[in-house]
Amino acid sequence: MRAYSASAEEAVHARELLKDWAGEDFLTAEQYQRMQQETGCNLRRTNIFLRLVLFLFTLIIVGAAAALFFVVFLGRPEMRTTGIWLLFFAAICYAATELAVSRARLYRYGIEEALAACSVGFLCAGIQAVLYSIYHYSIMSTGTGSLVPAAGAIAALWIWHRFGLPYAPLAAMIFVVWLPGYWTSSQPARHLIVAAIYAAGLLAVFALRPRHRFTFLNGEYAIAEALLWLGIYVIINLQLSALNLLGDWWGGVRGTGEFSRPFYWTTWAITWCLPPVILARGLRRKDRFVIAAGAIAATLTLATNKPYLGLERHTWDPMLLGILLVGVAFFTRRWLAGAPDGIRRGFTARRLSGKDKQWLSAGAATFGLVSPHMITPSPQAGTPGVKFGGGDSGGAGATSDF
Amino acid sequence: MAGGRGRNAIGEGGIVMDIVSRLDQWKEQGTISPEQHTLLAGLSRSEPFSLFLELNILLYAGILAFIGGLGWTVSTWSEQLGDVVVLVVLSALLATSFWYCFSRAPAWSAAESPSTGLALDYVLYLGCLVWSVELAYLENRFHLLPGQWDFYLLLTAGVFFFLAYRFDNRFVLSLALSSLAGWFGLTVSHWPSHQDAAYRQYAILYSLTVGGAGAALKRRGLKSHFFGTYLNIAANVLFWAVLSGVFQREGYAVWLVCLLAACGASLAWGITRRQFSFVAYAAVYGYVGVSAILIRDMHNDTAFLSYFFVTGVAMLVLLVLIARRYTREA
Repeated sequence: MRAYSASAEEAVHARELLKDWAGEDFLTAEQYQRMQQETGCNLRRTNIFLRLVLFLFTLIIVGAAAALFFVVFLGRPEMRTTGIWLLFFAAICYAATELAVSRARLYRYGIEEALAACSVGFLCAGIQAVLYSIYHYSIMSTGTGSLVPAAGAIAALWIWHRFGLPYAPLAAMIFVVWLPGYWTSSQPARHLIVAAIYAAGLLAVFALRPRHRFTFLNGEYAIAEALLWLGIYVIINLQLSALNLLGDWWGGVRGTGEFSRPFYWTTWAITWCLPPVILARGLRRKDRFVIAAGAIAATLTLATNKPYLGLERHTWDPMLLGILLVGVAFFTRRWLAGAPDGIRRGFTARRLSGKDKQWLSAGAATFGLVSPHMITPSPQAGTPGVKFGGGDSGGAGATSDF
Repeated sequence: MAGGRGRNAIGEGGIVMDIVSRLDQWKEQGTISPEQHTLLAGLSRSEPFSLFLELNILLYAGILAFIGGLGWTVSTWSEQLGDVVVLVVLSALLATSFWYCFSRAPAWSAAESPSTGLALDYVLYLGCLVWSVELAYLENRFHLLPGQWDFYLLLTAGVFFFLAYRFDNRFVLSLALSSLAGWFGLTVSHWPSHQDAAYRQYAILYSLTVGGAGAALKRRGLKSHFFGTYLNIAANVLFWAVLSGVFQREGYAVWLVCLLAACGASLAWGITRRQFSFVAYAAVYGYVGVSAILIRDMHNDTAFLSYFFVTGVAMLVLLVLIARRYTREA
């Protein structure tokens, strides 16, 4: 069912590893060249920048072509006609994706990815238009409208299964968030339904992953698992998932009226239980993405605990969080470095991948530019005293609006 | 695929060799030594597993959270705490950070220095951010340079450039470049509202200065690996500035010529140096600029959509040709 042969994808995986190792000087240039020649395959790839631009222009072409078709041939069509044609475009886009993969052998090339994304988009828009033409505004009350996100989620999962695009599970998860809105108006029930669907997905990943532990598929499953863990956490953490209330997130005390007290406090307890579970699983399986999901969940738990408890936020709270994060990092590093060869229980603080160096260099250049703007807070309304902040020009806060 | 630590397995494409099997083969062929085989086979199974990236991200997030809280606390509570307390605390943090860095840093080298550990980079970053907070506080409270606070930016940029080169730190280099941008009058968050001619000139001057300085320092062999950072920032600022000229209602022709010249240079640089971010800049900025002019007076839907379809296909073909010619096959 996979669009690419296992041998080709395994060769791509091997090439990525070789590049990593060569970047860290574990291989000489001659060794790297020779080994790379022996891991060739017939897939056509490109670098990340061209991939992004190719993705963008494919979206432009498909969008313009579809719109042009409507303008030239249909004028002002009825909703049902529009929907049927959109479904037809979805089929064409999907067929084009298959062709781009099977004939042109494109692999993470941007073009086939954009075509796949368009097929999902057209599918949802088409179903929505057809349903609306039949049920009008009652699609919300009858629950039929849930067909749209359901179809989107299934299509995204199929794209993931067929082409292995790592962000497809995220798209499926986003579609799932819209599902319960058609079924119930109860906020707790909506949270529970989404969490249950994510948990089911997680169980499926648990069942499938072990057989791919050391293959090229491990990375894809790792990303899916990390996203699902994070999705469950965000849905359970009511301080994050009540998106309509995000605006007053920093306001401190939050009303709990929309949720029953047992539900509210159960979710609070789970927000404390989930991060260690995720972290433990990630560390036990040595899974970078799951560890990252656990670390993010842990940080979010610390950051949202006060609003959860209805306590007032203090200006020094971020300082305490920062000290904790830095302390954990230094302690872990020292603990690992203290072992023979700097390796303790299979973990090390040393850099072992050329990719890590590249990520850090790119991240340092990018975040070094934007971080001063992010961290300097806006002046507090009605606060006496100085009003510096903003860091508008990015000059590390020194350029604030005095 | 094979389960567990399966070596060879039958896949859809026939025999599948996983990385461990390949390493075995390369060892038998003598391509890699037994020691390399042991190391690489372990790494392919995440043995040992490196937490290097995670620890760096944790430190970076921690420093940002700390400085964010520090700035917020100082701005909120300065009157209650008093100037002396605030300045003593900030100065102590600053002095301790810089003392740590200067006392632990290895001897300076013009080439890329090997990393001396996690602490130094992030303590330096902390020190630089504390410097900024303290400088902002000083000016706000004591008005040492009333109406001329841009000099603080120049001073800050100078200090950060020195520190970036002394400690070989890209974080601090980026801070220096953004401070210098501030001095030139660039304010990232003000882009949409300040597209006047003077602003554009400053932006172009900034990008030329940064690009030229980066090239000169590279030519002199001073931290040549920083050149990519200089060039990327200079290119983006230049493109934004020129694009803002193209979007003018009048006198945009000269800016269009400048944009095309910049795109040509960026494309040539990207292809010859295999730095494809510059190819992407040329494609995106060039397309946006040229399209802005061509569709400006286009009021017919069919013509408008046809334009995007035809030019989109043309761009796609061009980019695919570049990709096929210059980038990798798998």
